[in-house]
Amino acid sequence: MSGQGKGIWDKLENIPREVLYGILLVVFVIPMLFPLGLPVPISANVRKWYATIDALPPGSVVMMDFGYSGGGEPELGPMAVAVYNHLFKKEGIKVISMSTSIEGPQLWDKAIAEIRPEQSYGAQYGVDYINIGYIAGTETAMAAVGKDLRATTSTDYKGNPLSQYPIMDGIVDATSFDLLIVYTTGGDQSEGWVRQWYTVYGTPYLCSVLAMMIPTMLPYQNAGQIVAVTSGAMAGQMELLVNVPARGIKSADVITLTHLLCVVYVAIGNIAYFAKKAQGGK
Amino acid sequence: MSSTLKKTIPVAIVAVVALLVMMDYFIVTPPVNEAGKSWTSTTVRDLQNWGIILTAFSLGFGAVNLFYFHSKHISRRTPDQWMFSLWLLIVIVIFTVVGVFYGPTSTSYSWIYNASYFALSATVYSSLGFYMTSGLYRALRFKNTESGIFLVVGLIALLRNAPAIAVYFPVLIPWESFISDVLTTSAQRGIMIGGALGAISLGIRTMTGRETGFLGRLTEEEKGGGAP
Amino acid sequence: MELNLVIQIWMAAIFTIWIYSIAFRDNDFFKFAEYTFVGAAAGHSLVYGIENLRRYGWDNLMGGAYLYVVVFLLGILLYSRYHPQYFWVSRYPLSVMVGLGIGLSMRAVVTAEFIAQIKSTAAVQILGVTDPIKLVSNIIFIVLVVTTVYFFLFTFPKAHEGGLGIIPKIARYGMMAAFSYSFANTVLSRYNMIFGRLDYIYNQWLPLPGAIIAFPIVLILLVYAMLPPEKRPWPKKA
Repeated sequence: MSGQGKGIWDKLENIPREVLYGILLVVFVIPMLFPLGLPVPISANVRKWYATIDALPPGSVVMMDFGYSGGGEPELGPMAVAVYNHLFKKEGIKVISMSTSIEGPQLWDKAIAEIRPEQSYGAQYGVDYINIGYIAGTETAMAAVGKDLRATTSTDYKGNPLSQYPIMDGIVDATSFDLLIVYTTGGDQSEGWVRQWYTVYGTPYLCSVLAMMIPTMLPYQNAGQIVAVTSGAMAGQMELLVNVPARGIKSADVITLTHLLCVVYVAIGNIAYFAKKAQGGK
Repeated sequence: MSSTLKKTIPVAIVAVVALLVMMDYFIVTPPVNEAGKSWTSTTVRDLQNWGIILTAFSLGFGAVNLFYFHSKHISRRTPDQWMFSLWLLIVIVIFTVVGVFYGPTSTSYSWIYNASYFALSATVYSSLGFYMTSGLYRALRFKNTESGIFLVVGLIALLRNAPAIAVYFPVLIPWESFISDVLTTSAQRGIMIGGALGAISLGIRTMTGRETGFLGRLTEEEKGGGAP
Repeated sequence: MELNLVIQIWMAAIFTIWIYSIAFRDNDFFKFAEYTFVGAAAGHSLVYGIENLRRYGWDNLMGGAYLYVVVFLLGILLYSRYHPQYFWVSRYPLSVMVGLGIGLSMRAVVTAEFIAQIKSTAAVQILGVTDPIKLVSNIIFIVLVVTTVYFFLFTFPKAHEGGLGIIPKIARYGMMAAFSYSFANTVLSRYNMIFGRLDYIYNQWLPLPGAIIAFPIVLILLVYAMLPPEKRPWPKKA
């Protein structure tokens, strides 16, 4: 009898990965096919982020770094879209985007295609928003743009002269900006902006990173160097606040169920481990 | 003379450039030009722009290394490998030709980017989620105090990260706040302070020539020669 | 929907399924997708390297900044690292880059990651805090910061032995909690990304004509490719 018991606990302690992954995929798919509409609470950091943007007076200029790669787009893309929607909804905010990530320009195009600023808000490229493109060098690029943007680049991401765009009037260096917003999958970028813009110029800084990077950014937030750190996983919450539901909110049901599944897996593993131990197994 | 040219001068360049950049930040140096900028300000601005161009040059290393490595497989017809190597080089050429002739922001380039690179990048990043599932099933076991802490904190964080659970079990919110605002922030801060001291000492060692890792491959006399 | 968009979605979806197949078993479809990814990444880097050179270097050079000739020469010298005899010439442009990196990071790291962090820790209140939970939290916070710094700074053996051994032990417990929190957040991150791809397949690809039929065919071919070579009639490995 105990031999049979040990066999069961052995099996439960060593469930093949194909079974684990298969069940995980099923749990992913079910809420996609049958949405449950589970509630989504809004965290304090997302509220802080929203309030910071909401407090921007008309005429404010925002620097936005599309510093994430294609790998992070499923998480950070919805956040970027939600925040852009918020900025476009506010009157008179100018948004100048750049990229410290080599895929940034393509991902900016994706976000703008999703938002459709001209149709949705009557915003105009070159008047209300612009993209000055990818600049190689990460911290070198941040420092160069902060020191003298016009000396660093004289064209937008398509190669058109910046001088032809009204949005660039009076934009000289980091002191021309009222807020810095960064979306990134790289610690170099998220921490680099603290070193090159906040520390040198004191520019208020909002940072959105992958959820796994939040722990490394918390000390900066705690020290007041970053106003609020959010993860792309919170995009659904931002969409609720901005009132433009999109991709972010769709993931809420899936994330809830898959995380519950993880807890079940951990419980099975531990129960099997202790049961086996109690029966004298290793 | 040989050692001066190959090692001393590069290390001196590192020191001079680094000191210039730091000087520009900490000291306002005369003479000041009509725009109110000091000579260090304009020099550092130019150096930063040079850095962008040099980094742009270095972006080609990946392609060069891949060509070097995979062309050997193709020429040797390595079984089960050479066709994949050939395909890899073809993809590099396709991207480069379309990107250079049509421009990286053109619809043609965006098409091949979205059809291949973006989908592959997003999927490769996400596929690690499966291994994490396997990892948490096998690693989150209560075997000793440290693994016990790992397990308890992990479970609380997993439950809190599930959006709806916090609505039905609001007790998770202050527990997770304690974990993130106290335990995680403090430990990460300690790591950050230690890392900052390490970065400062590495910088000083590099500027003084004691750390020569950035020089890369050593020459024959450097291999047989004295300590840095 | 335009044909080129349809083809794009088909390609992206099939690549996605091929990459996910590695979670179950290695196969040639995954290998093909993997090599496509590596080639695309290298090609994309090369494209943007050339684009940056044109926008930030060549345009300035043609605009009269003739000193940029020196930068271009330095950039070309970077590739001398492949020369068996003159590889050391690449140290010159590298030195400029390293010097810039050191200068830019060191000028700010002292303030951002050292002084600001210490100031913030010193500002944590102990005296005059009436809420017991807040007081305990603040004490734990300061203790963990100090012990973690001790753990990394004092690495010689005597600092971790005997009575002093309790300090790195506390640090380890704190770091375990931090790493566990990171681990749980990494799970969240990756699951969000998986959802993004599955959502793409479900909402973008499957509604397209023929995709519903193609989906099981792709899966069957994948399972076939996962079979060991001796168990399948074709192809045999060389």
